[in-house]
Amino acid sequence: MTVTNDRFEPRVGTQLTPRTFGPLTATDIVRYQGASGDLNPMHHDDELARSAGFPAAFGVGMLNAGYLATFCTDYFGTESVRRFRVRFRKVVYRGAILTARGEVSRLFESAGESRAEIELSLVDAAGTVVVEGTAEFAVS
Amino acid sequence: MAIMSVEWGKIREYAAATANARAEYMTDPKGPIPPTFLATVVFWDDLERTFELPEATEALDRVGLTRDVRRLLSLEQEYVFHGPLPRAGDVLETSARFDGVEVKQARSGPMILVRFAVEFRGQDGALRAECLYTSAYLNPPRADEPPAADTAVAAGQVAS
Repeated sequence: MTVTNDRFEPRVGTQLTPRTFGPLTATDIVRYQGASGDLNPMHHDDELARSAGFPAAFGVGMLNAGYLATFCTDYFGTESVRRFRVRFRKVVYRGAILTARGEVSRLFESAGESRAEIELSLVDAAGTVVVEGTAEFAVS
Repeated sequence: MAIMSVEWGKIREYAAATANARAEYMTDPKGPIPPTFLATVVFWDDLERTFELPEATEALDRVGLTRDVRRLLSLEQEYVFHGPLPRAGDVLETSARFDGVEVKQARSGPMILVRFAVEFRGQDGALRAECLYTSAYLNPPRADEPPAADTAVAAGQVAS
């Protein structure tokens, strides 16, 4: 379910309501690869991935980052992003259920506007962090 | 340097691919880009040329690295926006920037980090956005063993 909350009033320590993505399908992966232009076959060619020692083709780091971005635009709207940083921690495979989490870590002023800094993580069903991130949004 | 045309159809496609159903992306022909949309710069610009910049070849030579972008494993990406968010209909001029090489001590031994960026400017020359990339430079495999799994992962990861 999409949580749309443009009137969200952030305070330091506020947890965003988690949102779950997946289970990740082959279609999700190839659709993102086509959209992004990253056609690395390791994300859709099982045989190639196995030849490199992986159990199967694996998900795209930037798709996971995109899920975190979607989680954020649900909260902060589409015009307010000022900075969005992600660090890739772990690969995921088809079938993965991924949960986006976020917490307001800082409120500050920059370039004449109020901003919120959000600590983000995308975790798998075992609770392992797949992608972590930090983002800044303009807030009123 | 390349020209990147920000297209509404591409924004819709990218939003849908990231499970983003916000109406601004889907119904506004002049809507803003999603936060990680500039990853699509690879349709317009070849990021590998970053490693042909004189400052890049110099820095890589200094630490004795071959200029093989297939050895780059993407660790971090950051999107920074300056001024109004790029939106459908905008035309951006891209330019590559090499931000340096750093040798870090990891548990498994020395790790070489490579930092580079793409700058996006409006037609008036104003900086609108930057993509900052931090990648690990993987050691080349020995001649008598197959490429390591993560080396294969790195292939094509410069832009992912």
